Amino acid sequence: MKKTRLLSLSVCAALAGTLALTACSSGGGGADDGEKKLTFMFRGGPDEKTAYETAIKKFTADTGVEVDMIVTDADQYSTKLQAAVAGNKVPDVFYIEQANLQSYVSSGVLMDITEEVEASGVDLDNMWDYGVDSYRFDGELQGTPDGALYGLPKDVGPFAFGYNKTMLEANGIPLPDPDVPYTLDQFVDVTKQLTKDTDGDGALDQWGTGLNVQWNLQSLVWSNGADWTNEDRTEVTVDTPEFAEALQWFADLTNVHGVTPSASEAATLDTYQRWMAGEIAFFPVGPWDVSVYNELDFDYDLIPWPAGETGESATWIGSLGIGVSNTTKLPDDAVKLVTYLSADAAAQQTLVDAGIQVPNLVDMAEEWAAAPDAEPANRQEFLDIVKDYGRAMPAAYTYGAQWYDELWTNIQPVIDGQQTAADYLAETQPKIQSLLDESNATAEQAAAGR
Amino acid sequence: MTQTTSISAPPDEPRTAGPGRELTPEQRAKQANRRLHKSEHRWALAFVAAPVLGFLLFTVYPVVFAAYASLTSWNGLGPMTFVGLDNYTRLIGDEYFRTSLWNTFFYMIGIPIGLVLAMLLALALNRKIPGRTALRTIYYVPVISSLAAIAIVWQFAYNGDFGLVNQVLSWFGVQGPDWLANTATVKPALIIMAIWKGLGYSMLLYLAAIQSVPASLLEAAALDGANAFQRFRSITLPMVRPVTFFLIVTNIIAGSQIFTEINIMTPTGGPEFSSASIVYYIVRQAFRYQQMGYATAMSIVLGILVFVITVVQFRLNRRNSFSIE
Repeated sequence: MKKTRLLSLSVCAALAGTLALTACSSGGGGADDGEKKLTFMFRGGPDEKTAYETAIKKFTADTGVEVDMIVTDADQYSTKLQAAVAGNKVPDVFYIEQANLQSYVSSGVLMDITEEVEASGVDLDNMWDYGVDSYRFDGELQGTPDGALYGLPKDVGPFAFGYNKTMLEANGIPLPDPDVPYTLDQFVDVTKQLTKDTDGDGALDQWGTGLNVQWNLQSLVWSNGADWTNEDRTEVTVDTPEFAEALQWFADLTNVHGVTPSASEAATLDTYQRWMAGEIAFFPVGPWDVSVYNELDFDYDLIPWPAGETGESATWIGSLGIGVSNTTKLPDDAVKLVTYLSADAAAQQTLVDAGIQVPNLVDMAEEWAAAPDAEPANRQEFLDIVKDYGRAMPAAYTYGAQWYDELWTNIQPVIDGQQTAADYLAETQPKIQSLLDESNATAEQAAAGR
Repeated sequence: MTQTTSISAPPDEPRTAGPGRELTPEQRAKQANRRLHKSEHRWALAFVAAPVLGFLLFTVYPVVFAAYASLTSWNGLGPMTFVGLDNYTRLIGDEYFRTSLWNTFFYMIGIPIGLVLAMLLALALNRKIPGRTALRTIYYVPVISSLAAIAIVWQFAYNGDFGLVNQVLSWFGVQGPDWLANTATVKPALIIMAIWKGLGYSMLLYLAAIQSVPASLLEAAALDGANAFQRFRSITLPMVRPVTFFLIVTNIIAGSQIFTEINIMTPTGGPEFSSASIVYYIVRQAFRYQQMGYATAMSIVLGILVFVITVVQFRLNRRNSFSIE
């Protein structure tokens, strides 16, 4: 008797000591004391955090539900979320990446919120189809219009192209047509005229463009009529001539035409800095860049991406979703928070005013694009991308992105001009194929085990 | 003590029935002693239990769990499926695992270089030079700074176009490479940074060790005609060997887990995966590709490697160990 009591006492002592260290954050909704409290985990910079704080304060005022916010840096987010899941401390409401949706659903972490959203009276027709469908999953295919809903879009991120209006005007270049994309040849021609040594010291200090292969190749590949996989996402198609042509053209911008800064670096850091310093004529613009770019010393505007063989411009749309944990103690309130952040007009206005995103609501977005003081003036381009010609990233709807990352891993020699795009792609295709096969097999297993 | 026990434990104590009666006086005394200190025993047990339980809970359990997880197909979220040694056989054929393992060992080139530099620095700062306290402090600053912050600063410094490193090189007419985007330079760049970061720590330990070398030995050697280099080689160096050993062991263990600077400075694992370390690859598999089972198998292999290397080092050190009366 005494021995057991003693043992349990020491266990308690040891646990109390250790738990005090680990249990610093409380998970789940503590509904015991009648007070409703949700945890919301998301990621973003200071701008986003402030905007969300404002929006959520209003949510609490309206509904009486308190929200604990857990915010992380973008690159730590998935690690922390996964750790939280493994430790059974899943936040009630959290951001979910398109590419992770399937594994979170098949592992039973995400709640099916189809009925709750329907009951909440949210007008899904007034939201971007791309955004809503991204979080639908029917057990086999993600991104289709009839799957069950596992989240609502936090935002849609149309990746547009922009140009430095001030620079083009100063160099006597006619401004590009906002509705007709440049052909690749025209684009090279214009960027050549803009690449020069402006102060006569013998070194270039103004460039036509400066792109990053990992984020900008998609547009060229798609507009050239190629793609990463076939439609079923079963076959890797990067070894087609159209794909090779697009990649080669990308590399040639630097190695043959010399219209970008130094040959070696593909990370955006330096060209991003140079664009902001007004040294680069054409550069991508995402909605998340707008608040920063609007403060720059020059005027800029949006245009469609230069188009390849098909003559049609193409680009991708990013998106993040907001989902609800299957283990939440307050499912109704959790869904309420999701619909509030994703679809409530007042909340959207707060986030849009902060300059961090395009409105999720179609009518509000159209008003926003047509505003007379819109900056950049052609905001409509963002909406055109979401409505008409933007696509999901190649790995957005597959189980995991390892196959997709494989293409970038050994691409540097192509970018540096030491290997032809065709050779490289022929060499890499089988590796990517076997990784995609693995990913599809895992997806099937996961779906079967559900 | 003995007296007290004999008083409190009379030979015919009725409670010690049965065989207790046939106990020898020593045994009886011992038993009585035990009884007297029973409550102290309890407390002792309680105090011992805390760290033992902590050890079971936070060391044994995770290790056993990881060993099991490495035999499963698991995405880190849902149920685990037992797959036997599949993850380990997959490891053998994984070229990125080999590359990242090779990179990790390559980074360790920096360890001996760092130790030599730290030793030289310690010798220099052991002399009575003006401002040496300030210098010692300055060399220690990188050690206490956040690794993430340092990595970001060095990332800027290594920028091919306008980084500090290439600007300095350009004063001498050298056109520097784009350090982090080049397979040939990315590892040396990271090694240089790691050496710089670890220098202050090693220097400080060496400084302490050098200062504890008995002056009498050095004086005796000087009287025998040994010059400064001979005194250093035959007295100081052997005397600081324990510190060298400690630094090598801890540096190799830390070096095999290098991650933060790689993750920040080359977020894609560098051109052609040339900067990815083993822990970088484990994290990527575990959290980006949700291959937790596979990542765990890699961690187990890494753990075994580190253990074996450390055991070998201790063996070698035992043979070389040096003592002085």
